Amino acid sequence: MRLIVKILLVLVIVFIAIQFIPTAKNTSLKESETDISNAVIVPKKVQTILKNACFDCHSNNTYYPWYSKIQPVRWMMDTHIKEGKAEINFSEFGNYSTRSQISKLKGLANSIKDNIMPLSSYRLMHKSANLSDVEKNLIITWALHTSDSLSVKK
Amino acid sequence: MKKIILGLALAAITLAACNNKSTESKANKAVMYTNSDEKNLSPINELVNQYLQIKNGLANDNGTDAATAGKAFVESIAKVNTASFTTDQKKKWDDISADAKEMAEHIGANADKLEHQREHFEMLSQDIYDLVKTFGAGQVLYKDADTMYNKGKGAFWLSEIKEIKNPYMGKAMFDSGSIKEEIK
Repeated sequence: MRLIVKILLVLVIVFIAIQFIPTAKNTSLKESETDISNAVIVPKKVQTILKNACFDCHSNNTYYPWYSKIQPVRWMMDTHIKEGKAEINFSEFGNYSTRSQISKLKGLANSIKDNIMPLSSYRLMHKSANLSDVEKNLIITWALHTSDSLSVKK
Repeated sequence: MKKIILGLALAAITLAACNNKSTESKANKAVMYTNSDEKNLSPINELVNQYLQIKNGLANDNGTDAATAGKAFVESIAKVNTASFTTDQKKKWDDISADAKEMAEHIGANADKLEHQREHFEMLSQDIYDLVKTFGAGQVLYKDADTMYNKGKGAFWLSEIKEIKNPYMGKAMFDSGSIKEEIK
């Protein structure tokens, strides 16, 4: 019994301690010239869906909810953001080569179609990221159409 | 004294003869190597072979084989000797290889998701086709197309054999598709 109390005490101390480890925020105040909206045509409806369901992990601007202040939630978020930006960063879409832009748009359409994205853990916490079939189709059609028109340009 | 001079002269002649022989054979060998280099080895030889392994893995519905070849593909990209590339070739190489690497990474990391591997294989096929057109394949390849994949949008792949073995459909419809181009 005393052992369990000791273990719990240690856990509580560790939990409190990790709250004080400083973290950096993924936010950028200035508007990005390389943003996807400057590189290709992004209709308003598409832009809204991207903002609600993708930008938190796939852009240079994350919206941080209240629970993001609690560790280890924040660490989990940071990992997702880091991996998400490596895969596709909508704020820096203009920096990709045309070939890469085509691939990334196709990959975006595929991951929506296969329900890989948005991540289920993200959908659990963000109602607006639960896309309806209409919204999914809109994003898929836009992504494939845009990638096709880039292919013609190449 | 005479004997010594004669002996030295003989030794000198044989030595010279030996030397001649060895340099001759060296020269022969060097010629042979450069010949085979030019004939058989494309700078992207390894990449083409690993791409074909990915293709065969997918055609057999074997995601693990495809993933293994995908990982090997990623490693081979770094080993390609770009020193002899022209400026134009280097530019193309940088552009295409960066994209191909990402596609191969996805194929390597998703051994349990055949459909996801196939989606990236479609894009990798475009990259490999462009690489082969730029650098040569060092072997005869066939560009095969499946017009039904992706809701009728169609997709192509490269193959080392004339027989159709569809990597998008796998065993279920292995023979759907047709040869569109022979690349020599």
